[in-house]
Amino acid sequence: MFVELAAPATLLADEGRAAVQAARPSLARRLLAATPPYLYLLPALACLVLWTYKPLVEAVQLSFYDWNLLPTSPMTYVGLDKYRQVFTQPSLRNAAVNTVVYVVLLLPFSVVLPTVIALVTRRLGGRSRDVYRALVFTPILVAPVAAATVWRWLLDPTGLSNQVLGAFGLAPHNWLREESTALLAILAITAWSMCGFAMLIVSAGLTGISGDYAEAAAIDGANGWQILRWVTLPLLRTTLLFLVLTTVLLSGQWSFPLLDTLTQGGPADSSTNVYYLLWELGFRNFDSGLASAAGIVFFVVFGLIAAVLVKLADRFSFHDN
Amino acid sequence: MARIRIEGLSKVFGATRAVDDVSLDVADGDFLVLLGPSGCGKTTLLRMIAGLIQPSTGRILVEDRDITYLPPRERDVAMVFQSYALYPHLSVERNIGFPLRAARRPKAEIAARVREVAAQLELDGLLGRRPRELSGGQRQRVALGRALVRDPRAFLMDEPLSNLDAKLRTATRTELTALHRRLGSTFVYVTHDQVEAMTMATRIALLDGGRVEQVGTPTEVYDQPASVFVAGFLGAPPMNLLPATAAGRGGQVVVTADGVEIPLWPGGADPTEVTLGIRPEHLRMLPAGAPAPVGSARLAGTVTGVENLGSEEVGWLAVGAASAASTDRKGGTGGDAASAAVAVRGPRPLGLAIGDRVALTVAPEHVHLFSRDSGRRLAWRPDAKVPHPSRPVELTTSGA
Repeated sequence: MFVELAAPATLLADEGRAAVQAARPSLARRLLAATPPYLYLLPALACLVLWTYKPLVEAVQLSFYDWNLLPTSPMTYVGLDKYRQVFTQPSLRNAAVNTVVYVVLLLPFSVVLPTVIALVTRRLGGRSRDVYRALVFTPILVAPVAAATVWRWLLDPTGLSNQVLGAFGLAPHNWLREESTALLAILAITAWSMCGFAMLIVSAGLTGISGDYAEAAAIDGANGWQILRWVTLPLLRTTLLFLVLTTVLLSGQWSFPLLDTLTQGGPADSSTNVYYLLWELGFRNFDSGLASAAGIVFFVVFGLIAAVLVKLADRFSFHDN
Repeated sequence: MARIRIEGLSKVFGATRAVDDVSLDVADGDFLVLLGPSGCGKTTLLRMIAGLIQPSTGRILVEDRDITYLPPRERDVAMVFQSYALYPHLSVERNIGFPLRAARRPKAEIAARVREVAAQLELDGLLGRRPRELSGGQRQRVALGRALVRDPRAFLMDEPLSNLDAKLRTATRTELTALHRRLGSTFVYVTHDQVEAMTMATRIALLDGGRVEQVGTPTEVYDQPASVFVAGFLGAPPMNLLPATAAGRGGQVVVTADGVEIPLWPGGADPTEVTLGIRPEHLRMLPAGAPAPVGSARLAGTVTGVENLGSEEVGWLAVGAASAASTDRKGGTGGDAASAAVAVRGPRPLGLAIGDRVALTVAPEHVHLFSRDSGRRLAWRPDAKVPHPSRPVELTTSGA
């Protein structure tokens, strides 16, 4: 007769399973062993809470009060008055429009031009590529106030820019003092200082794309332009979206020191943006309630834009393996 | 469909010669495997054929047309990368259709051709997926599909199976062989895996240090390795290689080493330093205790290990000095206590136990001799017109 051979014994089947419990260290010991990660995180978390979350909560609070920031003067609860003001005050609307103009006009210089420079310099040999990239990158290393001073001199009615115009027989122009050009001048200087930084980000993004794809495409018969359009740029999408996101969220902050040193938002608020206006409302007009309310509104708007862009970036990210 | 000729091709990276004066003639419809260890230059050679690397010297001809400096896209060859290099942002359908899209073919034609290729490779249901949603085997097939879709003049493959698990690799090997037979196109295939080379190739080019060691059919390179390198690269375990001396003795050429005496054939020769090569499967055990038949080859050693391969067994022996005590050999080398490791392979059980003293024999036709200096194979040319019997016939280095 046949006898079936038994399968190897398993402990799972036995009630003796409890008997094979591995030895575990005591609870106190395990807790102690689990703490280091949290200790490492603590300084960063503390800073975040102290410098970001606490002021945020306080700003929400302040936006419901009328207060001139003097510790001795009283805070008056005004409900949603300040928010009503935000949506009715023309200066705020003007600043918001200017902010959009800044973002839109800066995008070519923070996304398109850096991508072109990164792609062109990529083909250069090691040493000359480094030199070119360093040259483009240098402006961001110059302190904004120092750069602003030099630009003020360059854009002065008697400065180099107008001397060049004069050589072509054109009348001198006071770039920073004319309503028509103040914003454009600030924008140009911001673009000049940010372009190199963005180029570095794009270069890093390009380095992260395996060379195999371009090689495969070349063997598949694609020419340089097709490889760029069908392979390189799509794979660079995540990087480019990141740059769009930074431009949208940070263009106001990048231009802030230039605005403060060169035009103070003028002439006639023509070059101001929401960041500069918030600062003016809070620390020049001492209207903490209005500044906070406007700040919260812009925070929500930028938050929504950021959420959409992050979502887009997620959708377009690829596992490069 | 193309014959590829490589003439004196070299590639120098700084101080290293990655590919060193390689000449190959790949006939139309050949499945040529470039085989060799890591860093032997096989991938560099393939990339030069693809046009991804420019050679330092030499030229590449496809159907008598010099393509050495032609950009990759004008060469009309397809390549499967080790990493597959599937475009991660494109669906399987767009990946396979990419070469046709680059060639600006009409959309309807691309779609039809992609479906046809996908059906061949059983990728029908996956056309909408992205590469990251595929298994390793499916990715490999998509990479193959991208190569197949446009009927190229030659297929180049850079270790395409190395990222697959053992079972899938065996299955894909068979599929690739079938594909080659069906298409009849020229394949140039890079691998370091001798099993892939032996099973798939119509011809194998063995490379070492950027140079071609031997080109031949799998049978040729296995049965008549042209150099010590080839002998030691192929086979599992590879050919046993022992330093030995070949000399004429009593009208016979005899190869001797520590614990080894192999009479080969009638003739005479000056004592020549050689490397003796014997495949593990060609060694036979002599019955224990029985004296070796007079005039037959004899290797004596001690068993140091036995490996069970399932169907077969490999016994490891120390032949030479370590087992010298009871080996009757004339004139020991004294200080040299090194023994040579020799593998013997045969059906299980071999009947060996560690510590056993055994004697092995081998048929003369299974003995390979290589020059100790150059490492090249030595062939015997019996010369009937030797004027004086006493004058030795020289062992000559055979042409590869």
